[in-house]
Amino acid sequence: MLKTYKIYISGQVQGVGFRPFVYNLATKHLIKGSVSNDENGVVIYATQTRDNIKLFYEELLKNPPPVSHILASEIKPTNFFKFDNFKIIPSSKNGNINLPLTPDFAICEACKTEINNSTNRRYNYPFTTCVNCGPRWAITQSFPFERNHTSMDMFTMCDDCEKEYTNPGDRRFHSQTNTCSTCGIQLHLEDTNSKKITINISITFKKVAQFLTDGKIIAIKNTSGYLLCCNAEDSEVIQKLRKLKNRPNKPFAVLYPSLEKLQKELKLNELQVKSLTSKEHPITIISSENYQGNLVLNEIAPKLNQLGVMLPYTGILQLLANELDFPIIATSGNIHGSPIISNNEDAIEKLKNVADYFLHHNLKITQPQDDSVLKFSFKFKQPVLFRRSRGFAPNYFGAQLKSTEKIIAMGADLKSSITFYPNQYIYSSQYLGNLENYDVYNRFIAMVNSYIKIFEQQPQVILIDKHPLYHSSEFGRDFAKKNKAKLIEIQHHKAHFTAILGDHNLFKKKVLGVIFDGTGYGDDKAIWGGEFFNYEKNKIKRINHLEYFDWLLGDKMAKEPRISLLSLATSEMDGILSVKFTPNELKTYKTLKTLNRLKTSSVGRLFDAVASLLNITDYNSYEGEAAILLENLVTGYNIKNCKSYLNSIEKGISSKEIIKQIAIDVKKGKSKQKIILNFLFTLANTIIEMAKTNNYKYIAFSGGVFQNTTLVDMLIELVPKEIKLYFHKDLSPNDENISFGQLMYYIHIKK
Amino acid sequence: LGHGSGGELTRNLLDKIIFKTFSNPFLDQKHDGSIVEFNEKIAISTDSFVITPIFFKGGDIGSLAVHGTVNDVAMCGAIPKYLSLAFIIEEGLKVSDFIKIVQSIKKAADESGVLIITGDTKVVERGKGDKIFINTTGFGEMHSKANISIQNILENDVIIVNSFIAQHGMAIMSDREGLEFETTIKSDSTNLNYLVKDLLDEFGNNIKMFRDPTRGGLGTVLHEIANDISKGVFIKETDIPIEKQVAAACEMLGLDPLYVANEGVFLTIVSKEIASEVLQLMRNHSKGKNAAIIGFVTNNHPKKVVMESSIGGKRIVSPLVGEQLPRIC
Ligand SMILES: [Fe+3]
Ligand SMILES: [Mg+2]
Ligand SMILES: [Zn+2]
Ligand SMILES: [Zn+2]
Repeated sequence: MLKTYKIYISGQVQGVGFRPFVYNLATKHLIKGSVSNDENGVVIYATQTRDNIKLFYEELLKNPPPVSHILASEIKPTNFFKFDNFKIIPSSKNGNINLPLTPDFAICEACKTEINNSTNRRYNYPFTTCVNCGPRWAITQSFPFERNHTSMDMFTMCDDCEKEYTNPGDRRFHSQTNTCSTCGIQLHLEDTNSKKITINISITFKKVAQFLTDGKIIAIKNTSGYLLCCNAEDSEVIQKLRKLKNRPNKPFAVLYPSLEKLQKELKLNELQVKSLTSKEHPITIISSENYQGNLVLNEIAPKLNQLGVMLPYTGILQLLANELDFPIIATSGNIHGSPIISNNEDAIEKLKNVADYFLHHNLKITQPQDDSVLKFSFKFKQPVLFRRSRGFAPNYFGAQLKSTEKIIAMGADLKSSITFYPNQYIYSSQYLGNLENYDVYNRFIAMVNSYIKIFEQQPQVILIDKHPLYHSSEFGRDFAKKNKAKLIEIQHHKAHFTAILGDHNLFKKKVLGVIFDGTGYGDDKAIWGGEFFNYEKNKIKRINHLEYFDWLLGDKMAKEPRISLLSLATSEMDGILSVKFTPNELKTYKTLKTLNRLKTSSVGRLFDAVASLLNITDYNSYEGEAAILLENLVTGYNIKNCKSYLNSIEKGISSKEIIKQIAIDVKKGKSKQKIILNFLFTLANTIIEMAKTNNYKYIAFSGGVFQNTTLVDMLIELVPKEIKLYFHKDLSPNDENISFGQLMYYIHIKK
Repeated sequence: LGHGSGGELTRNLLDKIIFKTFSNPFLDQKHDGSIVEFNEKIAISTDSFVITPIFFKGGDIGSLAVHGTVNDVAMCGAIPKYLSLAFIIEEGLKVSDFIKIVQSIKKAADESGVLIITGDTKVVERGKGDKIFINTTGFGEMHSKANISIQNILENDVIIVNSFIAQHGMAIMSDREGLEFETTIKSDSTNLNYLVKDLLDEFGNNIKMFRDPTRGGLGTVLHEIANDISKGVFIKETDIPIEKQVAAACEMLGLDPLYVANEGVFLTIVSKEIASEVLQLMRNHSKGKNAAIIGFVTNNHPKKVVMESSIGGKRIVSPLVGEQLPRIC
């Protein structure tokens, strides 16, 4: 007997080829009915026998499209209806959007094959996509994910594309980003005077490759923003790029033309390969030891033994890669501290003194995104997200909430992100950058506005950091006032803690929170950054912290590791300091130290002090440089040979004692490597001991310091069986997670 | 200075010093107050001066108490005429220091062309004050051509400062904390009323605003202005006049010169058309030799101050709340 069922699927099911997939599956099972998108996901009407529908439903859940992500589904009988066929019907939207957005996907193998095949009609077409791949979030204007809700709207499909779009057997059946060279996006190569270099599209990439070979810098408009590219084997051009970008030392990412080429030059493990070729295609940080090849490593990643690499993730990059026999630098197209550039006019204006040529196109990017960055710890392969952006943003699937309030969390300030909770899902934006920069700030506001526009929801609760000078907090305060919304301030490190609690849903447990980072504004008006919290029954209590020391000289302290050393130094260390400071500086700073009232427990500054003491660096040219250089001096360790600089942890971690002991080791002539390992061991050991003494079964870690993967490895190695460690899974440990943490705090912590 | 039993004697001594120093027809009437005549609308401004140390490079609490109030009256578009003068003195202040301060007040008042017409002196027990506090109230006649009003400020109007910034704050800090910089930094404390008068004589109601960025510095005051006029303020870091050694001292102490206090600095907002003439007049005046156009008013970012930084990129300048707290991770 024929019956009609209604099926709901929710999750990341739009813009991922779900409806064509359902169509084909339904046809296979002789089902008649319809499939459509609505504000909650996908709705299917299916008329067939009960058994057939059951088989159809099971298969649907078991093998959904590769880039989809089903979070919930439901099937129920409904009034019988005799359909003539099975149809994809246009989206209907009857209420506000309540489903995940769709992130960008790296080009799929099938599309790659097509653009490389000279007999295919998409040969050399850089914007080749299908239901399984291509830009999504980058071009989203509103939702559901239909062509007219994206910036693809301005391109009208030609007859051939239209045929694919309407043919159920085609991979591009209902593919919203479907175009070809006849009807699609136009690339053009220009010089710095906006003069078009008129060459046939078929040789454009050959020309670009030639320019790169000749030592030119090219600004390439990719689908999520501009990239600045140059030959990664040419030290002269890299130095030039560093100068023009105002970026003296911060490492650049390298785009390899192929996995084969990359594996010829560097050893990759399975996880790294998986990451590099995943649908997100992030930059993956790998060890550059025993490097075999021609990269000028010292220009690309000065003083580092690791390298960020990636593989072509769009048709543009793939077609360029086809013409290259060398890896290239591919770094976000911006100038020092400004956001990644995404529109042609901006690129011309802001990059004309950097790039020699521009490869523009006429697709509008609505959500510019940097490349995401991922690293696996070398020993235990613990994944650590360094930047959560393209491919990951803007969804967050790790936690489910039931609140009916519409909540927006404004995050921190330097690595800003915004988390919105307008329905049943959590949306955590891409990394936005340092809000002191006016262009970043505007992008931040644009992000708030696009959230509101997409979901048609006004936030009722505004969550901000407690820091009185954060631009995100100032914006939140104004915004709350203007919209008569509730405003809640949340302490920075507590937000880090609830971020990791939320990332693993630990709210039912008793957990030791270890939050180590650079700076945050503390409840006692000190600058926190080395915090131990107890979480239990929806309450957080600060139970310990890195021993306070003086915070001197404002933001200058974070830029000059020598100042952290001065703050922590004992009088025996005057000799060491006298080399790092002029007599006048030393005298002045010592006077200031005696007058100082601002205290800090920052582990970030402790790392700085150690880096300065070991003469690794006295100045940071980019955020976290000292800590990164410090980690890079060690390659592997034997935990049995490490010793702690602290005898007792009863009083917590004594920052001054650590520095004092290290100074003694330095005097003894102990190697830097040994000292660094002992220092990291001291932190790891103290954490584990503290958990043991206080009978914790769970330890949760957050804060930028946990981007130090050697520390992470040591913790994993030291922890006894009965204690479980939690590191961030779907978020970065750094301040990008603050907005998510603020949301978790508001929902879960008793006030 | 003594108190208690010797109090009477001390009071007489103080009165003698004060009346002798500031002698003028109004004060000499020795009424409970002074009776003065004004022909115009008057501007009144009062301020109390509390500063450590009381003597610093480039001035002292006395000259500061005159300049501060004289300038505030001038910023209203008025010509300062009279000052009231009240002291709260902590027992133990050296008589010689007091005399020095009174002489300094006298000199500053004379230079500013104002008369001290009424005053008061109180002595408090040791520990109940901090050496000496001074209150002054200034009275000025409105300049006949002045029409200072934020309503007149339009997009693209130009912001001009008269002099180097951040000198006063750095001088005080160096004296207070015993810090030494490569070269001595002196407070810029001075009277600005004559330059203001010249500007009003010449440009009258085309001058839309005067403001002296004292406490909180240039950054905080620009922020106030942006909020008052509900428009944006855009400035260029490289155009802001600052002396090399002051910039170096700020850099050394991790301070942003935008938030360091000034005493001899004011800014004015005028239309783009007359900006270069205004600048010329200022540069020809002794108190405006280093005047510079630092930015303009814009509709782009209402209530925000944005600065094009010397290393490129645009920075949002927030107001200073409390101390300069670290924001960087
Ligand atoms: Fe943080
Ligand atoms: Mg005043
Ligand atoms: Zn594809
Ligand atoms: Zn086409």
